[in-house]
Amino acid sequence: MESHRDPLCDINRTSRRLVIFHLLWPRRTSVDALGLAYMNEEIMSESWRQHRKHVFVLSEAGKPIYSRYGNEEALSSTMGVMMALVSFVQAGGNMIQSIFSDEHTVVFLQKGPLVFVSVSATRQSEQQLRRELLHVYHQIVSMLTQASINRIFERRKNFDLRRLLFGSEKVLDGLLDVMDSDPSFMLSAVQCLPLPSSSRDALSHILQKAITPDLVFSFLIANNRLVSVVQEKTVLEDARLKPSDLHLLFNLIRASAFQAGEIWMPICLPLFNHDCYFYAYVAYLDPPECTVCLVLLSTDKEAFYAVAECKRKIEEAFASQNALQWVANTQLYYVDDISVANLRHFLYKPSKVLDHHRHPEMEVGYRSQEERIRLLDPYRNMHNRIHSTSRPLKLIYHSAGKETLLAWVTSKFEMFACFTPLVTKKSAISELTKLLRWIKKEEDRLFICHLPKYSTAPQPGRSSTDRGSSARPNTSDTGLLSLL
Amino acid sequence: MASGMQEKQYTPSLLSFFIYNPKFGPREGEEEKKILFYHPIEIEKNEKIRNVGLCEAIVQFTRTFSPTNPAKSLHTQKNRQFFHEAEENYWMVMVVRNPMVEKPNKDGKPPTVEYQEEEIIVSNLFNGTFSRAFEAGGVELLTQKLEKFFYRYLQTLHLQSCDLLDVFGGISFFPLDKMTYLKIQSFVNRVEESLSLVKYTAFLYNDQLIWSGLEQDDMRILYKYLTTSLFPRHSEPELAGRDSPLRPEVAGNLLHYGRFLTGPANLKDPDAKFRFPRIFVNTEDSYEELHLIVYKAMTAAVCFMVNAAVDLNREFCEQLDSLVGPQLTLLASDICEQFNINRRISGPEKEPQFKFIYFNHMNLAEKSTIHMRKTASVSLTSVHPDLMKILGDINCDFARVNEDEEIIVKAMTDYWVVGKKSDQRELYVILNQKNANLIEVNEEVKRLCATQFNNIFFLD
Repeated sequence: MESHRDPLCDINRTSRRLVIFHLLWPRRTSVDALGLAYMNEEIMSESWRQHRKHVFVLSEAGKPIYSRYGNEEALSSTMGVMMALVSFVQAGGNMIQSIFSDEHTVVFLQKGPLVFVSVSATRQSEQQLRRELLHVYHQIVSMLTQASINRIFERRKNFDLRRLLFGSEKVLDGLLDVMDSDPSFMLSAVQCLPLPSSSRDALSHILQKAITPDLVFSFLIANNRLVSVVQEKTVLEDARLKPSDLHLLFNLIRASAFQAGEIWMPICLPLFNHDCYFYAYVAYLDPPECTVCLVLLSTDKEAFYAVAECKRKIEEAFASQNALQWVANTQLYYVDDISVANLRHFLYKPSKVLDHHRHPEMEVGYRSQEERIRLLDPYRNMHNRIHSTSRPLKLIYHSAGKETLLAWVTSKFEMFACFTPLVTKKSAISELTKLLRWIKKEEDRLFICHLPKYSTAPQPGRSSTDRGSSARPNTSDTGLLSLL
Repeated sequence: MASGMQEKQYTPSLLSFFIYNPKFGPREGEEEKKILFYHPIEIEKNEKIRNVGLCEAIVQFTRTFSPTNPAKSLHTQKNRQFFHEAEENYWMVMVVRNPMVEKPNKDGKPPTVEYQEEEIIVSNLFNGTFSRAFEAGGVELLTQKLEKFFYRYLQTLHLQSCDLLDVFGGISFFPLDKMTYLKIQSFVNRVEESLSLVKYTAFLYNDQLIWSGLEQDDMRILYKYLTTSLFPRHSEPELAGRDSPLRPEVAGNLLHYGRFLTGPANLKDPDAKFRFPRIFVNTEDSYEELHLIVYKAMTAAVCFMVNAAVDLNREFCEQLDSLVGPQLTLLASDICEQFNINRRISGPEKEPQFKFIYFNHMNLAEKSTIHMRKTASVSLTSVHPDLMKILGDINCDFARVNEDEEIIVKAMTDYWVVGKKSDQRELYVILNQKNANLIEVNEEVKRLCATQFNNIFFLD
């Protein structure tokens, strides 16, 4: 059973159009220019010190792998110190967790042979920072698989993982940037594009029809929001696709920065199964605007042509029904729609456990991007308090200089809202009630409420459980081998 | 695992405490010289050196990112270390074990409390600046002094009972009517005039402060010392019965109940040696070294501070005793009478209607209706410790910005906690109204503020 793929072997076995991600050299965009600037930034300089959040990745042997700012090679002695601190504490039968100073929080995370360190001035809690580091780890796993990483370092403790991650700093840079600006990570949810449910059903129907054996998931994404997801019926009976995996997938696609044409790349979904690759076919359905993206996940490495054929079918169906218009016409709601004068911004996440644990989230704001990013800080602080492991809360109402904030967790939903600073409690509550009523009314349009399924050729598959710690040797002899 | 196994619960406790100065042993092989004080002493030398080395490494590491604001604490799975640079290059480190619940197969409940770092500042009061001491007698003298002081001080630390009040480090003021206050004022003035050596005075009643001539920060530390160390040590004899052998000092003096808490224990004995503890105040600017004379009569205590350069002999003490003793005794009984009158008026002490904690940063006044008894070793609160920790969280949030804020929180148990910060004052209220909503809670707090804190907090 070949469940562990050596990525180095894959390079040799590529077909003409197969593009292995770590060989892909993305096109230069303005983001790249900045990325290069950071790479060459002089470490220990004032500007380097003042970055809000540093993230470092190194191996257990102290070898540098990645640094968000500055050249990681130049940082090798600093990384050596970090590793020394980790080992020293470990030697005493203990485990280092974090260091606090007035301005910074330093958080450590060790996963297998990799060590992650975050030095942050954002005042996030230790748990939140550690979760971000875990995402970075998972992003690396999404490119290499956990099994490969562990095996490589087992053989050679001194291995320089940069050889395998060559060119993918942009992926990690992109992930860190998006984590700092997108509340989806804090909420563990994925944003959905609001669509009338009839339109969404029609789109899903098109996706459901265009299938091929070994095709497991089909996604339609528009403007970074999920439009529709369909999945293969039997394969995923007891498995779940977590929002975190989706974020990693979206990030990989974003970072590849391609526009025309198509991509066929291996991707591991760490929370789903951290030891195996899926193969993702990615193409934009509306060049040159490139806002609507189609992602098809297959378990068969050789299925490129079959999957490309699915895309063609989908494109045809879209064209005949003019489906792209539905997506384009969708209105992103703004707060003014709901006539709540003091409400400036809110985040809402229903806790209904849906079919397959899709966690939609909606966000509304009329304010600028910078304001929304600034709001993330207080939101994150409230999120941390309300979900505290030792003393969780139900509600927080925080009246401060710049705004009044509210966080509320019930069994049905979780919500964060921002009001003008001088709002009275009465108005805040009444506007909140209006908002909740509106959300309830529009629920169908705002969220993906169920996940349509399809079945490919009859294959009595056994799904893999994520976190294969209780690894029953699942040697099913079907084409779903690669998922075990 | 078998459910019959017991869960052991560990409260936070002090694992070790040490002081070091990296400048004292910069070269290889000299590391031991850096250590000025280490508790517990039994720890093997190499391990001490390693621990100090780790602290140095951590501080250095964080300086990479912020040269002026190095590490304050290190969290590991099993313990937490707190770093405090008391003065340039003199570092104090405290290692505390995390509270945990040890279950048969797994342990380590996440540490539940954001510790307020202990007031290591108290040591400054008694040791002056380390560098001064160093100049005076070299390293040996410094280590000796540190040993003596910290050995006793560490015994007074009781980490498991620390809560928000310790963060504030406030002073509890004794409420008085105008007349009595004036009597005390004039008493202090008279004494200061007659005993010209006295530089500063502080007057306390019942462990609460009434008046002080010291700078606020110094008084805060002195107050803490008095209430956590000195008074508890001397409280037993007074409470003992008349014929108890614990009362030798008071015997023989029928004129008054005054006695020295520091200094001569028995004035009648001409051969007994005595000395007054020395304290250092105003360490920031003028740096004064003073004798601390604490004189007590019943539940009233007066602190007199005299320049340390003066030699205080028996004669002086006798003079003080005869001057202060009778007056203080009278005052003490006056205050007691007033207090009783007031209590009769306000009615018997019942369960306070509102549970709150109030602190004023400007005058360090603190008031709590939550603590039924708060000493160094015991903190008896009428609310669940988790709620106290929520207060601590709110206080942390308040500390981030310098603006007036309000935070209202509903806990999982349906208790409401309201925190208000306005203009250097903080108020925390705990309400047990399970079915109340935000508006109702707001109204309740308004009522409280109207009765007890008139015009202090702005409300909507």
